[in-house]
Amino acid sequence: MEKRSTKASSNDPKHKHDPDDEDFYLNNDDDEYDDDEDDDNDYDDYMDDTDDLEYTSSNASKYDPTPSVEIFTSQNSTVTPNSSYASTSLKNLSQSTTNQPDLSKSLTKRNIELDEEFKYEVLSPDKIVQYMTECIADVNSVLELTPTITRTLLHHFKWDKEKLMERFYDGDQDRLFREAHIVSPFRPNTYKRTTSSQSTRSSRLKEFCCEICFMQYTEDNMSGLECGHKFCKPCWREYLTTKIMDEGMGQTISCAAHKCDILVDDTSVMTLLQDPIVKIKYQHLITNSFVECNRLMRWCPAPNCSNAIKAQYFDAQPVKCDCGHVFCFSCGELWHDPVKCKWLKKWIKKCDDDSETSNWIAANTKECPKCQVTIEKNGGCNHMICKNQACRSEFCWVCLGPWEPHGSSWYNCNRFNEDDAKKARDAQEKSRHALQRYLHYCNRYMNHHQSLKLEQKLTASIREKMEEMQQHNMSWIEVQFLRKAVEVLCQCRQTLMYTYAFAFYLKRNNHSIIFEDNQADLEIAVEKLSGYLEREITSDNAVETKQKVQDKYRYCEQRRKVLLDHVHEGYDKDYWEYQEDL
Amino acid sequence: MVSIATARIKREFKEVVTSDELTKCKIKLELLNDNFTELKGEIGGPPDTPYEGGTYQLEIKIPETYPFNPPKVRFLTKIWHPNISSVTGAICLDILKDQWAAAMTLRTVLLSLQALLATPEPDDPQDAVVANQYKTNNKIFVKTARHWTNIYAGSTLAAEPEFDSKVKQLIDMGFDNHKSRVALSSHLWNVEHAIESLYN
Repeated sequence: MEKRSTKASSNDPKHKHDPDDEDFYLNNDDDEYDDDEDDDNDYDDYMDDTDDLEYTSSNASKYDPTPSVEIFTSQNSTVTPNSSYASTSLKNLSQSTTNQPDLSKSLTKRNIELDEEFKYEVLSPDKIVQYMTECIADVNSVLELTPTITRTLLHHFKWDKEKLMERFYDGDQDRLFREAHIVSPFRPNTYKRTTSSQSTRSSRLKEFCCEICFMQYTEDNMSGLECGHKFCKPCWREYLTTKIMDEGMGQTISCAAHKCDILVDDTSVMTLLQDPIVKIKYQHLITNSFVECNRLMRWCPAPNCSNAIKAQYFDAQPVKCDCGHVFCFSCGELWHDPVKCKWLKKWIKKCDDDSETSNWIAANTKECPKCQVTIEKNGGCNHMICKNQACRSEFCWVCLGPWEPHGSSWYNCNRFNEDDAKKARDAQEKSRHALQRYLHYCNRYMNHHQSLKLEQKLTASIREKMEEMQQHNMSWIEVQFLRKAVEVLCQCRQTLMYTYAFAFYLKRNNHSIIFEDNQADLEIAVEKLSGYLEREITSDNAVETKQKVQDKYRYCEQRRKVLLDHVHEGYDKDYWEYQEDL
Repeated sequence: MVSIATARIKREFKEVVTSDELTKCKIKLELLNDNFTELKGEIGGPPDTPYEGGTYQLEIKIPETYPFNPPKVRFLTKIWHPNISSVTGAICLDILKDQWAAAMTLRTVLLSLQALLATPEPDDPQDAVVANQYKTNNKIFVKTARHWTNIYAGSTLAAEPEFDSKVKQLIDMGFDNHKSRVALSSHLWNVEHAIESLYN
């Protein structure tokens, strides 16, 4: 039900990262229900759910795991359904209502003209669990297994239901269970644990030796999985705690016995563990692997936000979390139009190379060749196994090639190579020259980055000015242009910032020259607008100033659109050539 | 309260020390401090291998979370083996890393290490130079390993006198004893190549 479109977000000048501003909207929205641009549904939703709003908006950004303690047994969620949608609807509503009528009309029009829609939902932690339970129940309605087995199977297929179904019904089921490290529930199990009600008095009194601590225990105190390996409960508890708390394992904890790869199930974990902190961490890890393995989901990267975004298909599109953070669904960075994820990642890595931390990262880490996660090697041999639950690729630390052929042809990553050393020296010469070029782009990128950071300060000072102007002869609605101007300014700065990352990798051709002209034009206009906002707002010549600022921000907006459209057109028509080797 | 780690090491220690079977395999264990966190292990080179006759000292450190995490083991005695670093003594063995299971003991670790000496895994090397030699020039590998056993692990079995003379040749040129041996070992006992690498 949550509908948003690419352009609505990328052009929507109401984008905010500042949580304070959310309040700002909320406080003021009473004044402006005279909105006719917005979708009726949103409005209805808003009316239906008004009561829940306060609850959601205050809780949306906090991870409160308590309601999910029983996640794996119960499907009830304590959060009122739709409340998270409602709060976003409200934001949408209030955002568009604060637009000046002419502007919002043009925005809406643009959306209709330009867009296929990118649909997504914001899921709170409870919703994530609920969604996971739904996925499991959905599959289970066909497979009819226990939820924990289904969950493990689904995880094995990276939460691709179709793939699981296909393998389950077409392939060798025993093999499937073996691959997923589960004891097949269909196989008559010789080890089947005897429940205490079945066990006779004598066997209950019989003592067993726990192979972990070597202590004697009665059967009541021993426990094990379907595989039949039994250990005493205190050892199990300790084992699970170590795995969960120290090694951060959730999905992939196996039986404690040597060479037994049967995975622990949720019920066992929940009954064996006592410490609620460990239990919560376990659930958190399970949810985490659910989100991370799922291509159509991504955590909101904002600090202290525990929401996730669920999209209908995978694409580099802007998404806005309930916490107000707008980011790219594909890479998780701030929304970075016009530059593409791949180049942005390269660029950010390059920029970061300057700091001490990144020096350390460069010296001590490499990236997994498959999933690009950063890896530190802290000992052992060169046979690396990626710890990223969704990847687990095996590669050689030295050459980063797949591990497989190393058995026979690892000779290539042998010791230091003279030729390579010479090449490295030549490369250094070249890089001196490249550095000059890099600094040119980096300085400009950082400049906008820095200005963006000062956004909060500017917002505050503008708010003061707005108050001041209202003291004089202007109405509330008449001073709204100032906030709009700040938003346009920030948006333009963000775009400009990323144009430098884009331009850095661009090969020079006719279109790149047009692009640079557009960039320069926007930059000049933005600096002027910035100047107006910082200096020339006084209540004396309010009407004149308003006209000037409005003209300028409209011009900026227009230039920004021209620039982005040109880049997008270039993507469609292959104007852009890149310098891969930078 | 006595931690699980301490309680277990105590029992394991007793088990290893008193087991006849283990004495037969030339496996020993010694405590280095009173709180059972540092031990010294010793394994004999298995028969019919280049390591036969040698005695290998091992450094064993018990983490607080033992037995839920593996002990940290490293060779103190220098050894020429594809899965053991000839420089640091670090070991590449799955059970000391992700294949560790809480139900395993120091006894199983020491036995596994002994088995590793008998059956190297050159496809999962710790020391690429040694592993390469093992695969491409096995004869020289066996000789080199035997030579190292002789020099560092106190074996009295047949040495390689020609190797000794080559090492001496380099020592006479002013190079360090061990460094010379490493250089020669890494370069298939080709004196010229070894000298070149030492100068670089």
